Amino acid sequence: MSERAPTLVIDRASVAYGDVPVLEELDGVVHEGEAVALIGPNGAGKSTLIKALLGLVPVVRGRIEVLGTTPAQARRDVAYVPQADTLDPDFPVSVEQVVMMGRYRRIGWLRRPSAADRAEVAGALERVGLAARARDRFGTLSGGQRQRVLLARAIAAGPRMLLLDEPFNGVDAVSQHALLEAIGSLKEQGASVVVSTHDLAIAHLACDEVCLLNRHQFGFGPTGDVLTPERLRATYGGHALELRGDRVIVTQT
Amino acid sequence: MTWLDSTVHRALVEAVLVGVLGGVTGVFVVARRLPFFTMALTHATFPGIVVAAMLGVNLYLGGGLFGLLVVAAVLVFSRGRGQDFTTATGIALSGGFGLGVVLVSSQDGFTRDLAAYTVGDVLAVSTGDLAATVAVTVGVLLLLALVGKELLLAAFDPVGAAALGLPTVLLDFALLAVVVVTVVATVPALGTILAVALIVGPAATARLLSDRIALLFPIAAAIGVACALAGVWVSTVWNVATGASIALLVGLVFGAVFLATALRGRTRRAVPVRA
Repeated sequence: MSERAPTLVIDRASVAYGDVPVLEELDGVVHEGEAVALIGPNGAGKSTLIKALLGLVPVVRGRIEVLGTTPAQARRDVAYVPQADTLDPDFPVSVEQVVMMGRYRRIGWLRRPSAADRAEVAGALERVGLAARARDRFGTLSGGQRQRVLLARAIAAGPRMLLLDEPFNGVDAVSQHALLEAIGSLKEQGASVVVSTHDLAIAHLACDEVCLLNRHQFGFGPTGDVLTPERLRATYGGHALELRGDRVIVTQT
Repeated sequence: MTWLDSTVHRALVEAVLVGVLGGVTGVFVVARRLPFFTMALTHATFPGIVVAAMLGVNLYLGGGLFGLLVVAAVLVFSRGRGQDFTTATGIALSGGFGLGVVLVSSQDGFTRDLAAYTVGDVLAVSTGDLAATVAVTVGVLLLLALVGKELLLAAFDPVGAAALGLPTVLLDFALLAVVVVTVVATVPALGTILAVALIVGPAATARLLSDRIALLFPIAAAIGVACALAGVWVSTVWNVATGASIALLVGLVFGAVFLATALRGRTRRAVPVRA
């Protein structure tokens, strides 16, 4: 793994909204074709870290390097997958229109999608198993299907790095499987994946590395080494009372 | 004598233009859930018009510039601690309208002019008003044709748009500026209070009829034009206020389409789903 090129380098980085520090002293490296899970309680700063990787929240100390450059400059090759339920389900936009948004950067200003763009959109929908729903309104799909559409949008962008914010929340088994398959095939093509999740089973299943976060970093490294009861308890502030199999049972966050 | 020398001809042309303009802009207003903002804007442009009248400059220029100022203020206020867009809009609505009324009450004599301005009169539009509406309509249609896809993304998924590196604040401002110029251009026909009818009503009606954004624009424009023309006709036949007739027709059309689609939905589905 380590002979592959690093795609994400975090070096003693602190991230803040204005004067309010959110994350402090983060360190870690992700290589191409690797996936890292961001794990921590609500409000731990997982979404903020993802926004920092997109250059939307400033790094106030230290350094974050994405694809060998600054996060803002790397955006062309980075695709972001928001949580589906943050988007208005009543918005009059079709599934294929949503996926086409992933092509906007390549299409550019003032231009219309070409036949090649449409082919990419169709291919991306195929990969998440939703080609048949292309013409439907986005909001008519289930939560899990909408999440798959948003992943298809990211795939259509042809990214070298994929950032997913809680993609498995409230997602049924079929969609979870489809999401994991699509993420796996992107990894095989050499893309790096950063995914925030509460689900330790998914972290084990899909990710090579784990970053434990709660304002500070409580561990960053190979999944098997980092996901230990002691570290999880530390991350969850002593509220991670029980670890049963792959699950952490949190009484209070 | 030209064709446009006739009051009725000018009214008909203005009706078609504001119908198209209101309908098209309205699609974004409704999709983005901005009707309240639009309502606030129609009231907040009021002090700009009063100041323009006091200074003796073009009323629409005054209203338009003040409207842009209000948009900028709302965007800044909504970024404040614990604030949101709706709160900032509410403050802009009441504060702007209050400022207008204070200015009016400090003056003698021109309250009557301004009364005409608040409810509008499409039968009184001048060739200059028409030229302004043509310019705004062409400008808005051109902008939507050129950056429509970026506006759509910024409206649907602001964080996703920012993640792509799109200038979301600029796109927000552009969309709100489109609403401002639409409001200002619609005011001669419908007045500051009723302008919101032609912007929200036809687009909301179109939304009842279709989910496809590409279809919403022509449907909303067609409904806007039909209501505006019918309103001019109603007001000349029965000699009632034109702006109010248009606003009333817009409301009636929405109600009729709402009932029709609700009934059709009920017969189609055994189990009614959430609207």
